[in-house]
Amino acid sequence: MPKRLLQLLGVCALAFTMLGAGTPATSFDKIGHQLMCQCGCGQVLLECNHVGCPVSGPMIEELKAQMASGLATGGILGWFVNKYGPVVLAAPIRGGFDNAAWIVPFAVFGLGVVAVLMLARLWRQRHATLASANRHETTAPHISDAFRDRIRQETDLP
Amino acid sequence: MLHPMPSFGSFSLLIALALSAYTLFAGTLALFAIAKKRSLAISAEHLLETSRRAGLASFVVISCAAFALIWAAFTNDFSVDYILHHTNRALNPAYKFSALWSGQEGSLLLWAWLLAAYGFVLRLRHKVDVTLSAYASTILAAVQTFFLLLITFATHPFSIVPGGVPPADGFGLNPLLQYPEMVIHPPMLYLGYVGFSVPFAFALGALMMRYPGEKWIHITRRWTMVTWLFLTCGICLGMHWAYAVLGWGGYWGWDPVENASFLPWLTGTAFLHSVMMQEKRGMMKSWNVWLIFITFLLTILGTNLTRSGLVSSVHAFAQSSIGSWFTGFMVLTFAVCLFTFFYQRDHLRAENRLESLVSRESSFLFNNLVLLAACFTVLWGTLFPVLSEYVQGSKVTMGPPFFNRVAIPIGLFLILLTGIGPLLPWRSTSLRAVRRNFVLPCIAILVTAGALMFAGVRPWQDDEPTSGVYALLCFSLGAGVITAIVAEFLRGAAVVRAQTGKHLLASAFLLTRRNTRRYGGYLIHFGVVVMFIGLAGSAFNQSKEVEMGFGDSLQLGSLRIVCQSYSQDSNANYDTDYAILDVSRNGKAITRMTPERRFYTASQQTSTVVAIHSTLARDLYVVFMGRNPQTDRPIIKVFINPLVNWIWIGVGIIVFGTFIALTPPLTPATRRVEFHERSRIGGLPLLKEPLGTLGQAKAAAVESGHA
Amino acid sequence: MLSYRRRSASTAGLMNFSVLLPATLLTLSCFAYIFWPQHGTSHAVEKTRLDYLRERKEVIYENLRDLNFEYRAGKYPDDDFQRQRELLEGEAATVMTEMDSLEV
Repeated sequence: MPKRLLQLLGVCALAFTMLGAGTPATSFDKIGHQLMCQCGCGQVLLECNHVGCPVSGPMIEELKAQMASGLATGGILGWFVNKYGPVVLAAPIRGGFDNAAWIVPFAVFGLGVVAVLMLARLWRQRHATLASANRHETTAPHISDAFRDRIRQETDLP
Repeated sequence: MLHPMPSFGSFSLLIALALSAYTLFAGTLALFAIAKKRSLAISAEHLLETSRRAGLASFVVISCAAFALIWAAFTNDFSVDYILHHTNRALNPAYKFSALWSGQEGSLLLWAWLLAAYGFVLRLRHKVDVTLSAYASTILAAVQTFFLLLITFATHPFSIVPGGVPPADGFGLNPLLQYPEMVIHPPMLYLGYVGFSVPFAFALGALMMRYPGEKWIHITRRWTMVTWLFLTCGICLGMHWAYAVLGWGGYWGWDPVENASFLPWLTGTAFLHSVMMQEKRGMMKSWNVWLIFITFLLTILGTNLTRSGLVSSVHAFAQSSIGSWFTGFMVLTFAVCLFTFFYQRDHLRAENRLESLVSRESSFLFNNLVLLAACFTVLWGTLFPVLSEYVQGSKVTMGPPFFNRVAIPIGLFLILLTGIGPLLPWRSTSLRAVRRNFVLPCIAILVTAGALMFAGVRPWQDDEPTSGVYALLCFSLGAGVITAIVAEFLRGAAVVRAQTGKHLLASAFLLTRRNTRRYGGYLIHFGVVVMFIGLAGSAFNQSKEVEMGFGDSLQLGSLRIVCQSYSQDSNANYDTDYAILDVSRNGKAITRMTPERRFYTASQQTSTVVAIHSTLARDLYVVFMGRNPQTDRPIIKVFINPLVNWIWIGVGIIVFGTFIALTPPLTPATRRVEFHERSRIGGLPLLKEPLGTLGQAKAAAVESGHA
Repeated sequence: MLSYRRRSASTAGLMNFSVLLPATLLTLSCFAYIFWPQHGTSHAVEKTRLDYLRERKEVIYENLRDLNFEYRAGKYPDDDFQRQRELLEGEAATVMTEMDSLEV
């Protein structure tokens, strides 16, 4: 049963990490949410809420212009990176070291799961050997009836 | 020119520094003498008592300093640089009070003050365990000395303006901070941050003195829970403030400073869970010690991140050099923890081992794993820009898309565990006994998923299915967990009913009172799930931004919004521009909303006042964005945010659950109460206690009342 | 405080006083409080073995109560429950035997 549980957990993990790997739809909204406003507000471009923000307005115009030129998502994002530097991307997606940002958390989580499972196994084995060695100590026989009676009376629910 | 009140404040800080340093040194000396059984010129006990009193006095003295600063704010003493920069004459008195923490210097003073307050309570209650409290008091004094050094030498709150002649009026408080929650949010958050120093001090102290047994956990449990509650409330008030004030329609932007407050919350939550393993089963001692060490270090890191300018954040205070102070303190603390751990590690040997993979213990292991993985992910995301700059020479942004993609799956795992954990019993078990306990929650999950799909939640039909799928999973898992919690209550209540013959509801009530900690905990879980359901609602947010003249209307979802008029108003503190909008659904009027935009004269800054109409199903959130400079027509942005209210309700349930968990439990009556006298043994005072569980449990309750 | 500043230089002495007096008072009262003769200091009581055992016993009892409760709530099969209970009772008996030997 635990094995089946583990398999299930594995499938879930795979499902979660694979989500969002769908086809890229080149829509204004989607790209606009992958870019950050550069006015220093720290907000996503399309969510920057300063009216008269000197930066987000022109940036949105640039985005519209780039989309009108028929560039693909990657091309548009690349154009923005060239103009504003990599900080314009809301998340690092340029490949190379940027990949580490995505891989490391899942890798650490995976390693953690493995470590916990190994630890649990180790503990269980140690417990099993201890238990078999101390079988005579840990089981009932040497508890006197008086003690057992007292313990039960003091701990049993009425 | 002399400035009596600022001088008094400065002087108080110096005395407080001297007192803290004395508490630290006298405490260290006395404890060292006691531990090594060395004799000093005066008795170690007396020295320890002077150390304790100095610690108590330091609270009073820091209070004087804080009072001096607040006094300066209320009397418009603009000769104090800090007051000049954070208040003005027309400012509402409540916000003058909050000037104490609206800047770097003041907030560090608040930090030191709260630390002293925690220390004050700890030192007053030292009789719980005199030696352990002395260790904790000395360690707290060390932390307090650091903060007082910082305040006195790096960021002095009582600096006088250059020339000493005050301007006629101050520069005013940042308008974003002029909001009722901002009077509560920072102190709450700081109470949470600072509070983790107490369990940290107890844990480190217990390790230093090789404290026998796990009683120190019992003593610190309430401290930790109260601290956790403060931190939770602080974070959630911050969320609500961001939602109601910043006007971007969301409550959590994964800003480095938000993350910084979230990190110790995650490790603190992990600690609260895994410490039960140590208390009940004597397991995971080293792990727990490190969890609380890390939690404390994360609170310091959080403060460092906010102030040092290491990462860019909208929250950050003015960049300053105090980052190096914090880094130095963190390194020192870590070194002390590491040394103590290695020196005393044989003291932390476990008494029991895990017996089965399917037990409450192992579910705690996984819970810790997931919480720490979440903590690591958030920390990683927060610090990756720094790392990237170091490795590839260019800074990158780690915005919401990163965190949403990475943190949400971890959050869903956490919900799953919230459901599974309580169903498993302690120690070893075969799954066969509890298998049927899983049936109902699984049915609830499937039924909810089916019902939602039937009702039209079919994310795979969207362009961007991810968030919809997550939401669907979250709703279904949430339903499962709630079912599991309710079933758990009912199962317990059935046992109590069998004992007492009361009806089910009364039994459930009695059950909760008998084991407040467990059932309070379940209530907290319930609150967390409700909150998650609210968070998942964001997958279905809608928004629209339009220019609206008189009589113009817009349609969003089923709601129709008509602009009735615009108006302007003005008072001493600010000028207001606002819109009057009528909201209707299917021709039926629902409400009238008035979003505002304010211009604060003192600080020359504008801010929005969002209008929100909340129901259980959705929030209608309207922002007056300002006027289009070309047409002079107002721009209105409207959001429909489903289920946001569930978040705040969830927080309410969490707070309620924590209060339940904090109340001392009723003693479970057992069959027989026996009496027998104890004789005096060793250095023990005579204990004349009626034995039997009733008497013992009562004594324990009294004791825990002290803890 | 503003009114202070409007006063002429002749009141400088008074202002000096107003700066020094509270600070001095605060320092003196702190000193007095800290070094005031101590009566009935709570002495650091070394935790005895018996104290430790008493705590252990209470924890084991708590575990036993939990076990009983969870068994009745249907979380343990009979044989598992019996085994667990005997183990815990064994632990409790060991602790209580030692307690009895210390208490005599």
